[in-house]
Amino acid sequence: MIRTIEVLFVIIIMASAFTAVSLFTVLPLPSQVSPINLRRLSFTTLQTLDSSNDLSRAAFETDNATIWGGLQVALSASLPPNIIYNLTVYDVNDNDGQIYNYVTSISNTQNLGLTNDLSTYTVASSNVSFNFTPQKIGEGTNGGTLYILNCSDANGWWITGYTAQSLAQDLYNQLSPYFVNTVMVQNTSQLGQILNGTALQGENVQNAVVINTYGEAVPIPSAYCKAPYSTDSYAYYSYYLGQRVNLYNWTWSSIVGYPFYYVSNTAAFSGVQNSWGIYGMQMTGPGGSRGFLEGLNNQAYASNTNAITDSASRQVTLTQNVAGLCNYYGIYPSTYQTSTRALSNSTLAGYNLKVGLNIFNPSGDYLAGAIYNHYAAGSTNITGSLLALGLTRTPDVRVTGLSLLSYYQPRLYASEYTAEGTSRVVILQLGLVGSG
Amino acid sequence: MIFIGLFSQSMQSGLTYERNSAVSTKTSDLLDTILLNPGLPDNWSQRDDAIAGLGLQDPDFSQYQLSSFSCMRLASTIQPVVYYPRIGAYYSNVTAGFGGYLLTPSAKSLNGSTASKLLGINGTYGFQLNLSPTITVSIEKISLGQPLILSVDIAGTDYPFANAPLSYNLLLVNQDSNNYPSYRIISGGGVTDSAGSAQLSFSVDGENQAYALIVYTYLDGLKGIGYYVHVPQSSTKSVVPLIDSFQNNNITIAHSDSVGQPSQSPSYSLLSYNVSFVILTEDYTLRQVDLDQPSSLGSVVFNSGSGQNYSSLTVPSNDGILVITYKGTAGQYGLVLMPWGFGSLGFPLTFGGSPAGQEWVTTDLRQVSIGGISYQAKLELWNLGYSGSG
Repeated sequence: MIRTIEVLFVIIIMASAFTAVSLFTVLPLPSQVSPINLRRLSFTTLQTLDSSNDLSRAAFETDNATIWGGLQVALSASLPPNIIYNLTVYDVNDNDGQIYNYVTSISNTQNLGLTNDLSTYTVASSNVSFNFTPQKIGEGTNGGTLYILNCSDANGWWITGYTAQSLAQDLYNQLSPYFVNTVMVQNTSQLGQILNGTALQGENVQNAVVINTYGEAVPIPSAYCKAPYSTDSYAYYSYYLGQRVNLYNWTWSSIVGYPFYYVSNTAAFSGVQNSWGIYGMQMTGPGGSRGFLEGLNNQAYASNTNAITDSASRQVTLTQNVAGLCNYYGIYPSTYQTSTRALSNSTLAGYNLKVGLNIFNPSGDYLAGAIYNHYAAGSTNITGSLLALGLTRTPDVRVTGLSLLSYYQPRLYASEYTAEGTSRVVILQLGLVGSG
Repeated sequence: MIFIGLFSQSMQSGLTYERNSAVSTKTSDLLDTILLNPGLPDNWSQRDDAIAGLGLQDPDFSQYQLSSFSCMRLASTIQPVVYYPRIGAYYSNVTAGFGGYLLTPSAKSLNGSTASKLLGINGTYGFQLNLSPTITVSIEKISLGQPLILSVDIAGTDYPFANAPLSYNLLLVNQDSNNYPSYRIISGGGVTDSAGSAQLSFSVDGENQAYALIVYTYLDGLKGIGYYVHVPQSSTKSVVPLIDSFQNNNITIAHSDSVGQPSQSPSYSLLSYNVSFVILTEDYTLRQVDLDQPSSLGSVVFNSGSGQNYSSLTVPSNDGILVITYKGTAGQYGLVLMPWGFGSLGFPLTFGGSPAGQEWVTTDLRQVSIGGISYQAKLELWNLGYSGSG
């Protein structure tokens, strides 16, 4: 009898234990075991809706029924049929002690159920402005002028696919905030004026940066299309340019290819072609670069047609210094470039030049891109510089811009102007249909 | 024994739930791994060789913007491969809809098996990745003769794309004496009604004129595309573009009878074609890009003689649509489209294994953009170790 009672007790204890375990072991619903990651779906949906800034606009125009109707259609169209949503906009404002203040919401359900998740997305009003005030290059030092050659009466070479005018405009947009004055030199006559030291718009001619957007060609004023400038196929004109760069302490920028290889004036050379079928252009050859360097070094002109490059193809990379400044200035050319006109360092040794900045890592004796400073013998003052980017065509003017900014390194002063109520938070909460 | 059995059943159910939950977590992680890294090397989409790491993110962008060309290197699972005997090569068929082709070389495409190894789940998990346009643009001809009336129905995943702006481009083949037919574009815009529909009417003979309609729609960041191609009934043959090289942007133009097995018996053999490339501008109109190659005009034949079986040409390296107009010897006109860049015509793609018959398949979803077109990326994942287990 007692055995039977014991067995009954054991059965009761075991049954109670099983019942207790079953009560506490609450297995989740299948939809909770393998749920769609609603948080990520919500986040990517918000990103998609704001890909054209439409969500930002809607968040600040909550009274515009058309915009919100479109948003509701887009939201419903982008979510799977088994997903329900609630989209709520909050104003971010700490004036009343409450940071997030409800603005409006849309939803296609009364209840999002047990399985739901959300993502938040901060949008800014178009009234918000993030601003950078750049330091001006050469400000207060008798300089600060950027000349961009934009001569309507000259043709370019090795700028295939672009016009000098489009490159000039790109460079203007990129670099003009960093200079006190940016002057577009609209024709070769104006180029002649600045070569004579005459300002075009009251700017400082001295210590200017001159960017030649014509590639391997250099615009030449009609007044210079005669002797002695025409000597050696206008190598003497390049010599004269070198002298002017020395005199005014300019930084002459060659954006691509072999510097000073051609001269161009569409009126004066209307019947002359550069041997590649481009009229308005005269080939100078390697003597152009030599002439420029002689002029820059203020030595007597001597005809010299020895090449300053071996024209070999090289894969080059930005130096660490320059690559590191890409983020600072927000200019991102490819780190890897192809150079076919890298200048020979040893060839340049006879012209009192020192490398002020390597744009690309040297490849043996060859520099694919560098800013060369001229120092007269025994002097510590720079008297003219040359930025030579010996990259192959076609030019990427971001490299030019980055090179100059990396050399001068103007500072950027960040500032942010915000007004009250210019930030809002959009919360998209998603739920699964039938999840309770 | 009964109680032991009861307890172990509860424990088993709990463990199974845990394992299934782990697969779900893995699905989400794996989907982000695929979508949020550009792969290795990061320009693998425009190379022909093997890759070291799988990722679909466009290296020039951040977040969930996928590379059109990476997606184009994925071999489709759904449709059988196409054999081209003249070259002796197989092509993965991603084509969707009449008049559009996307045939990529199997030897240079990435298959699901290789992808599993690259993702480190080979033998552990099976997967299927679906890339489908968020917005479906369906176009149907609802007229006979002239005028040509086309009905456009636009919908999201389960909701009409109501009151949405649309932009259309009608490509009309110039059916004149020119052996290499050109085409002209009629562009316009409109808005869908509350049901997501719109009707477009053109003063064109809808039966005897070869044409293609490409429709773009956009609303609050969602962008969709659809197309419709019509060729006259007399045009029973066409040209077929086959991608030859992702790296060199080479396309092979072949005669439709010569593609696939067994080869067809031609009723006429010569097709003269004219290839051009169009890109989408910011205002959703198409701009023609001059290919500037002798082989952009030519002819292909299908016979047993020594005639030119196929032609090759190079296309630009940016997204666009290849438009090939053609003409038969008896004046049969037609045109075909090929997206260059996966999203250009809004084709869907299914990549990887099949989840059919698997015990527990978990799914995760993201909104992505491919070549500016809104897509949904869905990953289905299952544990290969589950076979036969409870």
